[in-house]
Amino acid sequence: MSAVAAPAPVRAPRVAVAPGTATLGALALLGAAVVSATVSFGLAAGEMSPAKLLTYQWMSAPYIAAGLVAWARRPESRLGPLMYIGGVVTSVAVFQAASPHLLSTVGSAVDILPAALFLHVFLAFPDGRLQSPFDRALVATTYVAALGLQLVRMSLDGFDNEFVFKTVPDAARVVLHVEFLSVSALLVIGVGVLALRRRRRPLRLFLGLVIDLFALGLLLAASLFTIALFEWPGLTLVQRTTWIVVGVAPLVFLLGLLDARLARSAVGDLFVQLGTDPAPGELRDALAHALHDRSLEIAFWLPEYGGWADVEGREVELPGQGEVRATTLIEREGMPVAALLHDPALLDEPALLASVRAAAAMSLENARLHSELRARLEEMRGSRARIVAAAQQERRRMERNLHDGAQQRLVALSLQLSLLERQLQGDPAAQEQVDDARREIAASLAELRDLARGLHPAAVSDHGLDIALEQVLARAPVPVTLSIETEGRLPEPVEVAAFYVVSESLANVGKYAQATSASVDVSRKDGRVVIEVTDDGCGGADEARGSGIRGLADRVEALGGHLRVWSPVGGGTRVQAEIPCEW
Amino acid sequence: MRVVIAEDSVLLREGISRLLTDAGFEVVGSCADANDLLHRVRSYSPDVAIVDIRLPPTHSDEGIQAGLEIRAKHPSTGVLVLSQYVELGLALKLLADSAEGVGYLLKDRISEVDDFIGAVRRVADGGSAIDPIIISTLLSKRRADDPLDELTPREREVLVLMAEGRSNQGIADRLVITLRAVEKYVSSIFTKLGLPSTGTESRRVLAVLLYLRS
Repeated sequence: MSAVAAPAPVRAPRVAVAPGTATLGALALLGAAVVSATVSFGLAAGEMSPAKLLTYQWMSAPYIAAGLVAWARRPESRLGPLMYIGGVVTSVAVFQAASPHLLSTVGSAVDILPAALFLHVFLAFPDGRLQSPFDRALVATTYVAALGLQLVRMSLDGFDNEFVFKTVPDAARVVLHVEFLSVSALLVIGVGVLALRRRRRPLRLFLGLVIDLFALGLLLAASLFTIALFEWPGLTLVQRTTWIVVGVAPLVFLLGLLDARLARSAVGDLFVQLGTDPAPGELRDALAHALHDRSLEIAFWLPEYGGWADVEGREVELPGQGEVRATTLIEREGMPVAALLHDPALLDEPALLASVRAAAAMSLENARLHSELRARLEEMRGSRARIVAAAQQERRRMERNLHDGAQQRLVALSLQLSLLERQLQGDPAAQEQVDDARREIAASLAELRDLARGLHPAAVSDHGLDIALEQVLARAPVPVTLSIETEGRLPEPVEVAAFYVVSESLANVGKYAQATSASVDVSRKDGRVVIEVTDDGCGGADEARGSGIRGLADRVEALGGHLRVWSPVGGGTRVQAEIPCEW
Repeated sequence: MRVVIAEDSVLLREGISRLLTDAGFEVVGSCADANDLLHRVRSYSPDVAIVDIRLPPTHSDEGIQAGLEIRAKHPSTGVLVLSQYVELGLALKLLADSAEGVGYLLKDRISEVDDFIGAVRRVADGGSAIDPIIISTLLSKRRADDPLDELTPREREVLVLMAEGRSNQGIADRLVITLRAVEKYVSSIFTKLGLPSTGTESRRVLAVLLYLRS
């Protein structure tokens, strides 16, 4: 397993203290007071029709309410205060029609400000923080345009207000154009930026809906300013639509909070599931369910290997920064345990992630140990396979050396003796000695041949399993039927293992089984080679049948396969080896 | 008789070449690999090719493949395969359709010079030469109700020599009995095994081998 850099820190939700009930109550009262004051003032002033006034206030009250609920539920997010302020400011803008100078001045000053506040809320959604310096610059510029330019304009305007510095109507008109057009442009840019950034839909329906509604409201507001500036037709229609859409967004947001509560009840289910101690494989499904993310994957940190692995101990790579998948790190006692690889949209719900994280930490630690065990097993299996393969290689090399060396020389020597013999015609004593020598060589050759065959079944490597088995079957202690259903040659290690399984099993038939017949089947299915040797003997084979079976099992398992023996007393013996074979 | 030798051990190649030259063969080519062998067989149409089973480059089954190709494309050239070990499976592969002009012997047999020369001659003449180990392996095969059990020891001896590819005269010489006696044994064997009498000796070899194999 290659070394992987220690896990990068993953942001945790900020710890914040929720405002007390008294504070919230006071704020709620204040909000209600502002709204009722503006409504009663508006009705009294008669500048707006009651219907228009109520439609306008439709924007303020939901923001104040949603802001307070969000503040209480997610104190770590600045979204609540931001929405609350947006609602109050929107409401206050009604005072611009008031006759007292101070009140109407304040009302006029904040007339355009809600647009900037809504853009701020939109870009900071859902955790209340602006993601990038660009966002911050964009929002700051919008504040300057909506509030600063408004004040400048008021100072030049002829209307009565506390700011009048010098009445220059032409300059005021220019400032008005700059202000409205720049605010419109900034709103459109904000919507565009977020659309680009959020190319993937959030997982939860309400979240997506809130964002869409905000975007629509801001675009409508942008068009409203432009239409108002150039006195294009349809102003009233666009104005009402804008107010309604802008007011609906916080209501959907409230529903979203409720939905998140439902999501958190899935965390409750998760607790119950984890209580039953799920198998490591099921843990992923449980977490995926709780997080509503079917693509969820879990990676475990294996400190000894300095890397990440899946539940089966296989090495995995964590996605880097800025990839399609997001990573949430899970730690226990300061040590990384696991990483959740999930849909980045889940980062919009830090509270849900945090509760799942807390609920699953213990089970994940168990699963991590499982993963570590599997990795070790895999490593051991690998080294056993390498040892068996190396031994095999070495035996094969020795067989080849014998063949090309000693055996070849002895054959040549024997031939030379024979040629020499022909020149000895008429010397019986010498003749006899040559005969003796040749017999010795023949005996040596026979011994070497047995030795070579014991080292490595060359016939298997050279000519294939089917060719090599003919002889084994002919020499078998009982009549054997053979069926080989493999197309072409198998990989050499598989063929050699299969050869040993068959020859060793048939030898056992002769030694123990008292059988009258046996059968050998070699077949290939589902990426495995299955070798089966069955006899009709007395069965009852046990471990005493020798190290032979153990040796076979080692050979087969080293190739990732399994060896099984069925041997009921009186019911014959069946040896079955399965070896994976993807070639 | 014209012979080509393919054997990658120089010592052995030279030895066989000398042996055969002394015995009156014309060695028209001796080489160390299968391509060279096929080339020489095409060029010289020898009566027999003596082929080591392990030839370069992989030293596995190049010799067998070359031998089978010669049998298929140059039926007039017999093929005698030599090997450090003999395998029943390979013998059956070599003799798949016909035992005509096919030999398969352990390399050890070369030093039994007269026998070896006899075998080369038989194969060159379109006969067969099968190693005794192959025959004994086949005879050792367990069968239910084995008719081989009914053969007398002498008949078994004759059966083995017959299966090796020897002619009746060859068997008579080997066992130091008369030709007539051999003919008697042969017909008795065929009757006991229920085999129809066949014409040529190589057909007889195939019939006996197939019988023993089943």
